[in-house]
Amino acid sequence: MSADPDPKEDARTVSDISTRSEQRRARDRDARPTAPVPSAAQAAPGRAGHTIALEKLSAYYGETRAVRDVDLTYAANQVTAMIGPSGCGKSTLVRCINRMHEEIPGARAEGKVTLDDVDIYDSSIDVTMVRRVIGMVFQKPNPFPTMSIFDNVAAGLRLSGVRGVDLRERVEWALRAAGLWDEVKDRLGAPGISLSGGQQQRLCIARTIAVEPEVVLMDEPASALDPIATLKIEDLVHELKERFTIVIVTHNMQQAARVAATTAFMLNGELIEHGPTDKIFSNPNDSRTEDYITGKFG
Amino acid sequence: MADHHNTRQHFRDELRRLEEGTLGGLDIIREQMDRTLEALEHQDVELAEMIMLDDDRVDGRYLEINQGILSLLALQAPVASDLRLVAALLHVIKHVERMGDQCVNIAKLIPLSGHEPPVREDIKGLVLRMGRAARSEVLQSRAAFATRDVELAADLSRQDREVNVLNREVFRLAIHAGDDPDTREWAMHQTMIARAIERIGDNAVDIGEQVVFVVSGLFREFPTSTAPAI
Amino acid sequence: MSVSVTRAAIPPLTRRRRVTDNAMRGLALALTLLALVPLVLILYYLLKKGLSAFSVDFFTTDPTGRFLGDPGGIRSAILGTIEIVVIASAFAIPIGLGVALWLVEYGKDGRFANLVRYFIDVMTGVPSVVFGLFVYIVLVVTQVAGTFAAWKGAVALSLLMLPIVTRSAEVVLSLVPDSLREAALALGAPRWRVILRIVIPTALPGIVTGSLLAVARAAGETAPLLFSVAFVNGWSLDPSLRMNSLPLQIFNDVGQAQDRLVTRAWGAALTLVLMILILTLIARVVQRRSRLAP
Repeated sequence: MSADPDPKEDARTVSDISTRSEQRRARDRDARPTAPVPSAAQAAPGRAGHTIALEKLSAYYGETRAVRDVDLTYAANQVTAMIGPSGCGKSTLVRCINRMHEEIPGARAEGKVTLDDVDIYDSSIDVTMVRRVIGMVFQKPNPFPTMSIFDNVAAGLRLSGVRGVDLRERVEWALRAAGLWDEVKDRLGAPGISLSGGQQQRLCIARTIAVEPEVVLMDEPASALDPIATLKIEDLVHELKERFTIVIVTHNMQQAARVAATTAFMLNGELIEHGPTDKIFSNPNDSRTEDYITGKFG
Repeated sequence: MADHHNTRQHFRDELRRLEEGTLGGLDIIREQMDRTLEALEHQDVELAEMIMLDDDRVDGRYLEINQGILSLLALQAPVASDLRLVAALLHVIKHVERMGDQCVNIAKLIPLSGHEPPVREDIKGLVLRMGRAARSEVLQSRAAFATRDVELAADLSRQDREVNVLNREVFRLAIHAGDDPDTREWAMHQTMIARAIERIGDNAVDIGEQVVFVVSGLFREFPTSTAPAI
Repeated sequence: MSVSVTRAAIPPLTRRRRVTDNAMRGLALALTLLALVPLVLILYYLLKKGLSAFSVDFFTTDPTGRFLGDPGGIRSAILGTIEIVVIASAFAIPIGLGVALWLVEYGKDGRFANLVRYFIDVMTGVPSVVFGLFVYIVLVVTQVAGTFAAWKGAVALSLLMLPIVTRSAEVVLSLVPDSLREAALALGAPRWRVILRIVIPTALPGIVTGSLLAVARAAGETAPLLFSVAFVNGWSLDPSLRMNSLPLQIFNDVGQAQDRLVTRAWGAALTLVLMILILTLIARVVQRRSRLAP
């Protein structure tokens, strides 16, 4: 069993390379054929964070309203956890942020979602650009089965048509940031699906961050993993927040408590309460929040 | 939202058991105080001996509750109001143990005065009054915690002020106890006893503060004459 | 019963249950063997009667059509079958794949998509002679670019192949997990790239298998070629002319009075079966490399 890379070392590496990648981004901007989503271009040198704001967001599956009038802001470079019982709408809401919700036939979203003051539902916005800037990691690890580890990480860049990027460099950076580099650096050509469950999920995370998004959405990223792999993912989230704004949906309240600075509780499609995690877990305002987290229902 | 109170039944039972155990500790203190007051009134040295031996029960209860809380924290990860209750119980049982120790301190002082001590009735009267007031504080703190009554808890600081006033009076009288060395020695013991009773009162006030914490999540010290409100 | 509960907790296997189990197993086995009998017999006869026709000349000379003298081999039939089937595949596979892609990625469960599926299903049931007749009426009788021609036979065969390719490709494409599409979309890929770079490569082994099986099926069809290609002895590459093919060669030779012509027919049949066998084997090998559930 190989030793895990020292998380502190990886954090330093992530910070170092992030400034380098800002310079790379500047080069990219010149090389890119189409205009990127404005906020990316206007980011100040260094690490300006990105905020997501939801305004009266509602989501529908046909006639059924799964999310009702949610107002919520996700602070920059912070981890926000979405908790709530099954079917409360937390996954649906998060999928509205990167506009994946509308891929479902008959599904639609209403209201406003802004990334740094840009309304991503505006008709002039290219939805694929939204998804490049707002990445998503799914519950079940889903590496592309026909691709090697290297190709998997590079897939995001290739699929979204990014040019002028040194793939090898970017892939190594992403794998380091995901804490996977030491484990796979000697077998980048091996199939992506030859890794263990926890490694596959970190591979998917590397794939997501390789395109350098501004926000990373995680839909129950550790629920399919064993406890050790789960803790590794959580450590990873702590490191990643230095660079990205992170929203994590979780049904595991202890995970929300360990990982998120802010927690939002949803019930039946509504946002009941949100605030600093330690307040929610020691003294929540709403009795419904209290009932849920103390296990009186759900 | 079905099954409102059947989830985590084991946890709730355990939590209730710990709370009852803690409040039961206060009941033991009440018994100890009854005995202490009687021993003080009649200079009963044998009763004082019993008080000292019976403190084992208090210590035993303290260890039991402590262990139970540790277990609960490790196994059940309580949050929100459950967490506040658990934290409060930890404090309360500590105060119970302290109260028990103070009763023992008082019991130790009784035999020192011998079988026929030179009693000053005024001082003795004050000490007994203090003891009864402290006993009432103990009962009130138990009631306040059991019913989560914040006002009842806040009222404890008022009662405790009286105890503090009586304490200072005992001290003043003891200073002017006279020239007889036996009397002076007895009077000094009385001040020490009074001090121990005052400590019991303080612990009861602290239990009241825990009641407020459990209910509101805020921790505020009650103003007493030893910690005056600003 | 006064027997203690623990002893009687699991009832023993009764004799009747055992007999029934064995009877069912025996019946299934018997039916399997019954089905195998004709298959084995066919192979036996093919080998017995066809092997004797094999020779170097058999594969390297065209049939001469002469009644007396050297009847020739079946070279033009083999080459003709290959050329017609290749042209048919060039039509059927891309179009069939296209239909399957539309059904799985875009049409999904819509009314029109289900209508298309229904029609495809109907087409798989259409007798092959009907395709031949259709081409006869639409292309041959109307004398579009001549009468009988190889490419018209290819058209008839491609009509036959189309629903097979579509059906099998649709099954494989829908086996590609949605999670892969989601992952690709979430990375910011436009839908066409998702299909091209993720869906098709993942489903490729299954698509290839399905196509090969459709090809194998088409190679052996006689009726469509009867009315569209007709028979000719010689060989030429030009698809606008008539062309020989193995099924037609067999059809022709079997009815002749001469024994050696009948033997040649058996040889041609064996050749055809061997070609199909090889195609099927390749299809299986390819399928084993697939990473999707069957």
